[in-house]
Amino acid sequence: MREKKCETVRHELEELMPNDECSIYATQHLRECDDCREFHQKQTRLRQIVGSLGTVEAPPDFDFRLRARLANEVSNAAFPVRVMQWSFASKGFAVATILLLLVGGVVYVRTILNQPVQQIAEQTIEPSQPLPKPVENEARPSNAPSIVASDNTSRRVAGERRGPSNKRPSLVAVDLGSEQAPVFSDAHRHSAIFPIDASTESFKVSLDDGRGNALTISVPSITFGSQRVLPNANQVAQKGVTVW
Amino acid sequence: MNTLTTIDELAFASPSQQEVLEDTTSDHALLEATRTGDEDAFAELVSRYRNQITSYIYRMTSDYDNAVDLAQETFVRVYRARDRYQRSYAFSTYIYRIATNLAISELRKRKRRKLVSLTGFFQSTDGSEPKELNPPDCRPLQDSELVDAERRNAVQRAIGTLPEKYRAPLILRDVDGRSYDEIATILETSEGTVKSRISRARGFLREKMRAYL
Repeated sequence: MREKKCETVRHELEELMPNDECSIYATQHLRECDDCREFHQKQTRLRQIVGSLGTVEAPPDFDFRLRARLANEVSNAAFPVRVMQWSFASKGFAVATILLLLVGGVVYVRTILNQPVQQIAEQTIEPSQPLPKPVENEARPSNAPSIVASDNTSRRVAGERRGPSNKRPSLVAVDLGSEQAPVFSDAHRHSAIFPIDASTESFKVSLDDGRGNALTISVPSITFGSQRVLPNANQVAQKGVTVW
Repeated sequence: MNTLTTIDELAFASPSQQEVLEDTTSDHALLEATRTGDEDAFAELVSRYRNQITSYIYRMTSDYDNAVDLAQETFVRVYRARDRYQRSYAFSTYIYRIATNLAISELRKRKRRKLVSLTGFFQSTDGSEPKELNPPDCRPLQDSELVDAERRNAVQRAIGTLPEKYRAPLILRDVDGRSYDEIATILETSEGTVKSRISRARGFLREKMRAYL
């Protein structure tokens, strides 16, 4: 019974504001109950101490800093895409979309690159078909000799098989392993002979894939010691003429 | 914005004029003016609440610089949401709710970052709510001024060790002197819960502040 009374009174004391007076019932109980009186004293003291904390003032430049921050907010508002303020779901969605696009792009590019080679690989060249002739460029007696090897011939073969609808030029792989290597006869040799003056010029080979992509391989001048030309006619290269 | 410049204006103003003046300087009216682009009105709101909000957040976080930052963030959010503001409750309740949410969010961030003092090693392991160890200071007290300063520090430290759900209602009630009803609205909970939490918070503090009571 007494405990019930104490509980009720303490409950009332808890809810009192510091300057409020408690009810007659509570006042009377506080006179009789030492525990509740002590509780009331401690409670009042504690609330005084906590209440004495007072207000901490904002720094003098608070307004200035706030204005700067608001100005920054306004300027940022000019850019509608503020990634940092996106929700987690929005960020996740954006990242997922970008990843999807990247993966899709990679797959597409790889498909495009692999497709012609696979097609051509499946299409083995039949032996009855005429083989592409080796390209023999005319000798160029110019100062900068070069050989232009084009895959136009082989592309033509592949193009005939793919049909005219496929306009996209592509590299063609032709398996010539089972075929006899072309032999250059004397007549061929004479037409394929071109001069290389290794002592003065570098040797250049230009490759053109027919799509405007050109690759030039440049072999620097090679010297063989004193570069003496042997008077013997059995030497590999005739004087002033090199066999290719 | 209409503001009083002299005492005479107030003294000789007719009741209806006074009503108008009061209306134009109320928090709601100031926010309404802010909505229409009146920057002075917003500056007035800031000057009314900057100390209260800074102080409240400081009591919650025990970090002055952080409290200033969060107080500014509170005003930024008020400004940003000025068009969505509704007069369903007092502006003070509205701004205190924003400040409370920011402070609690900061406290949770700290908890996640494990910014706990070394005394955290002595936290209970029985599954109860973790509390930092802050044993009562039983050293003899000296000069009254020093005692007052030390007592304030001790209170602030003790408040800082309270769980956040007890901390906010205690500060709002015993430091800011707000009503249970208002605290319940700010914390978006029932009045009974607020009373119970304040009672428990005082119980914690009585234990920690034994030497000063």
